Amino acid sequence: MLNMALYKREMKGSLKMLVIFAAVISLYVSVIISMYDPEMMKTLDSFYKIMPELMASVGMTAGATSLIGFMISYLYGFILLIFPMIFCILRGNALIARYADKGSMVTLLAAPIKRRTVAATQAAVLISGILLLVIYTTGLEIVIAETGFPNALVISELLKLNIALLCLLLFIGSICFLASCIFSETKYSIAFGAGIPAFMYVLQMLANTGKKAEAAKYFTFFTLFDAKGIIAAENSAMIGAGILGAGAVGIYIIGILIFCKKDLHI
Amino acid sequence: MSEINIQNLTRDYGSGKGIFNVSIQVEKGEVFGFLGPNGAGKTTTIRHLMGFIKPREGSCQIQGLDCWRDRDVIQSRLGYIPGEISFFDDMTGNEFLKFLSDYRKIKKDNRIQEMLERFELDPRGKIKKMSKGMKQKLGIAAAFMHNPEILILDEPTSGLDPLMQNRFVELIAEEKKKGKTILLSSHMFEEVERTCDRIGMIRNGKLAAVDLVETLRERHMRTYTVHLDSPELARDFAGDFNGICDGSTVTVSAKQSLETIFMNYYGGDQNA
Repeated sequence: MLNMALYKREMKGSLKMLVIFAAVISLYVSVIISMYDPEMMKTLDSFYKIMPELMASVGMTAGATSLIGFMISYLYGFILLIFPMIFCILRGNALIARYADKGSMVTLLAAPIKRRTVAATQAAVLISGILLLVIYTTGLEIVIAETGFPNALVISELLKLNIALLCLLLFIGSICFLASCIFSETKYSIAFGAGIPAFMYVLQMLANTGKKAEAAKYFTFFTLFDAKGIIAAENSAMIGAGILGAGAVGIYIIGILIFCKKDLHI
Repeated sequence: MSEINIQNLTRDYGSGKGIFNVSIQVEKGEVFGFLGPNGAGKTTTIRHLMGFIKPREGSCQIQGLDCWRDRDVIQSRLGYIPGEISFFDDMTGNEFLKFLSDYRKIKKDNRIQEMLERFELDPRGKIKKMSKGMKQKLGIAAAFMHNPEILILDEPTSGLDPLMQNRFVELIAEEKKKGKTILLSSHMFEEVERTCDRIGMIRNGKLAAVDLVETLRERHMRTYTVHLDSPELARDFAGDFNGICDGSTVTVSAKQSLETIFMNYYGGDQNA
């Protein structure tokens, strides 16, 4: 089903970007977790009182008392969504559309390899990248939390939370991959692959500010990722994550099928 | 059954672009020249053969297999030089050839080394830094490395210097002797004239003529006999104009340009 030579080449291509994003995430995760401190909490809460809309729009809410609640407020609303999203956009576009645009797709298809295998391999590369980012983040969070605040973090809760995060990121990745499969020109692939997730995120920011704009939450898939609900073991949050995961699988498959059927003017 | 069989292939891109009702049969062991000016539809036809585009009307088969449905099976027996070479710029030539042999899962005893030596290519540099000719040589190595039975070559000598073009013509002759089936597209009459058995001419998406090379040559070559004042002058004249000198008489032949040949075939076509 997969072509190992291609998989190896593309994982090498992901490596540089993965290292950069892992470094950025490391910086934020370690700084933010080390900020977990009742005194500091008061300061952040006071920020929230001064500018509640701005803080809420990036998913930061007041009154997070547990370490995981604190992490959800300050990591899972922006940093752990945006950086992996940028990774998905850049790699998603590079895996199919850029090859078709530059014409080097010829090299991949003028060989006894099924298009299905080529597309499935590229999807696997994107999924592997996302998986590596989430696994690295999880490990990092555990290490930093345990060194700074022994036993403050309930590992099982963190794992559940990060599985839900993984579902969301895979879904974002699937949209980028689909755009890459549909469009043979990089500019359109980027426009849709980046545009849809970014627009959805803006809607989420709007919805978070509350009041009249709250209805925006019905128009963005980010609503399906309910971090607090996952920790509270709410059924709706679990189902939301499940929908994201299943949707991601469906969209990857649709992307592969479209790539198999389309005309390539290469 | 022909090795390559294109029947009534039509692909209309609108405003007169595309290919219309193209039918070509290439037999086993034959070298078929596919000749036409830029934008005539050569590459579009070849994309159908490669399984990159699905035929809207008509069909194309290679060794009896459908070019769209069975493209991966066909590709294992086929070598292809694309009209526009675009490889992975981030790799060196060596890395690229290594990647290709892993990707295609071909055996160690392939023809890479033979091709590199034949075309004097040093594949150690980054592909990005390579000249057009070097990339073309790399493309030739990639197309021949798995010793395919069928070769589809889209303007294979573009960017090669005359010496290398000659080596390429020799290579085609050798492959033909081995019984390979070759479809070679070009916009240069001389190139196909030297390599091909039959020539198909395409213009504005329509196949204008399919003829043996000899027939075309006879029809479109004119010979003149020129008398000069002295044998010395005649010798110089023969040297300058590539003629045959006999005393003070020189026989020179003039080939018509491709465009003129096309005009002959199209006659009163207002598009011509």
